[in-house]
Amino acid sequence: MEALNALGGFFTSIGGLVADPINLLVLFGAVVMGIIFGATPGLTATLGVALLTTLTYGMNQSTAMIALLAIYVGGVYGGSYASILINIPGTAAAAATALDGYPIAMRGEGGRALGLTTTASAIGTIIGMIFVVSLSPLISELALQFTSFEFFLLAFFGIIISGTLTSPDLVYKGWIAGFLGLFLAMVGRDALQFYPRFTFGNSQLDGGLEVVPVLIGAFGIPQIIQVLKDKFVPKQAAKLDRIVPDFKTIGRNFKHIIRSALIGVGIGAVPGIGEDIAGWVSYGTAKNASKTPEQFGKGSYEAVVSTETANNACIGGAMIPLLSLGVPGSPPAAMLLGALMLHGVAPGPMLRIDHPGFIGEISAILLLASIAMWIAGMLLAKQVVKVLRIPPAIFMPIIAVLAVIGSYALGTKVFNLYLMVPVGIIAYFLTEMGYPIAPLVIGVILGPMADQNLRRGLMISGGSFAPIFTRPVALILFLVIVFTIVSQLPFYKRWMGDLRSRVAERRQARSSSGANKPE
Amino acid sequence: MMEKKQLRKADFVTSILLILFGIWELAQSFQMPMRDTYGGVRNVWYVSPALMPLVIGFGVIILGAVLMINSIRTGGAADFIKSVQSFSLKISDSGVRFIGTLLAIGTFVYLLIPRVDFFMSIVFFLSFFIPAFAFDSGEDLKKLMVFYGGVCLIMVILFITPAADALNALFMFATDVLILIATIGLNIYAARLAKGDDTKRSRFRTGLIVAIVTPLVLTPVFRFFLLVPLPHEGGIVQLMQIIYYSLR
Repeated sequence: MEALNALGGFFTSIGGLVADPINLLVLFGAVVMGIIFGATPGLTATLGVALLTTLTYGMNQSTAMIALLAIYVGGVYGGSYASILINIPGTAAAAATALDGYPIAMRGEGGRALGLTTTASAIGTIIGMIFVVSLSPLISELALQFTSFEFFLLAFFGIIISGTLTSPDLVYKGWIAGFLGLFLAMVGRDALQFYPRFTFGNSQLDGGLEVVPVLIGAFGIPQIIQVLKDKFVPKQAAKLDRIVPDFKTIGRNFKHIIRSALIGVGIGAVPGIGEDIAGWVSYGTAKNASKTPEQFGKGSYEAVVSTETANNACIGGAMIPLLSLGVPGSPPAAMLLGALMLHGVAPGPMLRIDHPGFIGEISAILLLASIAMWIAGMLLAKQVVKVLRIPPAIFMPIIAVLAVIGSYALGTKVFNLYLMVPVGIIAYFLTEMGYPIAPLVIGVILGPMADQNLRRGLMISGGSFAPIFTRPVALILFLVIVFTIVSQLPFYKRWMGDLRSRVAERRQARSSSGANKPE
Repeated sequence: MMEKKQLRKADFVTSILLILFGIWELAQSFQMPMRDTYGGVRNVWYVSPALMPLVIGFGVIILGAVLMINSIRTGGAADFIKSVQSFSLKISDSGVRFIGTLLAIGTFVYLLIPRVDFFMSIVFFLSFFIPAFAFDSGEDLKKLMVFYGGVCLIMVILFITPAADALNALFMFATDVLILIATIGLNIYAARLAKGDDTKRSRFRTGLIVAIVTPLVLTPVFRFFLLVPLPHEGGIVQLMQIIYYSLR
């Protein structure tokens, strides 16, 4: 009965949203803007969500969510344009798509490839949406049983796992980034005793660092510096024929779509891990499962369909921990968290109680955004491709202006700008030196949750850490954190290496003794 | 991202900075109330505001030390010492572009936005930022940086001395007029640099249009539709206000 009620609420939400022409206008406008952001190398879905957040300030909550989710969906999908047509991923999420998308375009089938990625992305988003609507309430229900220790460990787990999985160089660089993010979150008066921490007597810092300017600085400024410093030159795009949805190929690859969607949702649900990892994992899995793995890298449709389904399904996955636990599943979701707080919505276990129907509304928006993305992709692809010809030296300065005014407009504080620039420069140097930015951002967002819940938990237990070992969820989280850290230590890696070689030796010995046995 | 060898070299410097940062952070944390009374509340260690900062400080020091050990083991520290011995001040082309980007963003945020009319500050900023990189010439970038940097330096002197206030008292929006003159000068200079090169001329034209259209769209959107009070509303924004309210 509850499921039917939820379904009813879901369709009511769709009806309510579609009935308002302004919503439809915002939906299509934001999707197209997202596609442009995704398609343009140097701009990302996260940056799109960050910059649009400011413009949604004056909108009502539903319209704002439509705008932000639509640009997110469009941005993740739009990355495939540059991957397929110029062999440069528009976003990191579409990096795996370039491996096979570009060879397809080189065969003169760019339109067919884009048609496939458009349909696959739409299906991926819809499958992700199904998981949001079905899993989020269950996880919220479970999370209502969480005490302060579980929330502390959850926040810490988010930072550690994000650091472990997103680090392009040494794993502990991800953890360092997470700790730096946690430090930034400590600036300002603490919520329990109102004591000013690291404010240097500056009253502007009393309220802490505002999340949105920090995020815009961390994602926007490094992007601008990198593109202009490295002198990115736009390449000649491959010729684009008619965009066709090619449902036959989609039907033939249906099992790849389902598997990739599940991978996307699963990876999206892990805190801080973005669409790029979903794309690569899905690519690898599709190659291993394929009957024609030799075709991968030479223009395989299976590959393109798999990566694009996974990265868009990741959106739904990333929304699950965001809505049910208040922990963002990906960098754009972290930006969405900032936007939600701006609109007076505090995601987490209490969301279903404070804002009943909100999860249904988000799912409805995801469905509408995927439909709008499909329509816009089919109709406007040829026009959107023209943005690939604009030199970055023209649009990057505009992005700089938007980043500055975006950071200022939310709190109308020039001080936010003064903070955004150093955060951006530090983030740029960190990126150059192989530190991932996602854990830093996750640290900034989850820092207050970790701090307050640790102290609150200890206050209740009288300074004892025993509840961590007596409460099952807390114990599991604690063990996962310990295992994640220990598994990266050299002694563990050596031990695992020895174990693997011993097992291999035994197997070899067994098989050779079996072969030597007289028949 | 840097190459592997460069990364290990950078790791050595970063590890030192991280350890120093961790020590500073711990020193700050130990000054926070741990046992004594704060705001009428008697503290115990586990509710102290220092608890999480202490965890972070120790974490950063430990991870910084691990990074340092790895850098020493992999030869990063030795490479760093060698590079210090053969240090030269020659800045590469990408280094100049990096400085140019920082110059543009830094002056825009710290100098122009808080003190100059919002519209004019964007036009001036874009008039430098777009041609400087769109011309795709290291020499032009350096020349434009010198021109733009010079104007910014004059503006800094004006604003840190009572000169700007005196000028504005003499006639309204004097600093905005100065920026307007500087913008025109900057554009004439950029046009001269683009002379004789069709690609540069076309990019200069596009840049000029973008530099004017961007604030022309953004200013009304933020000021009149989103009702955001702009950081500095000078002559042009006030003119826009007069037009907007006379049309309403």
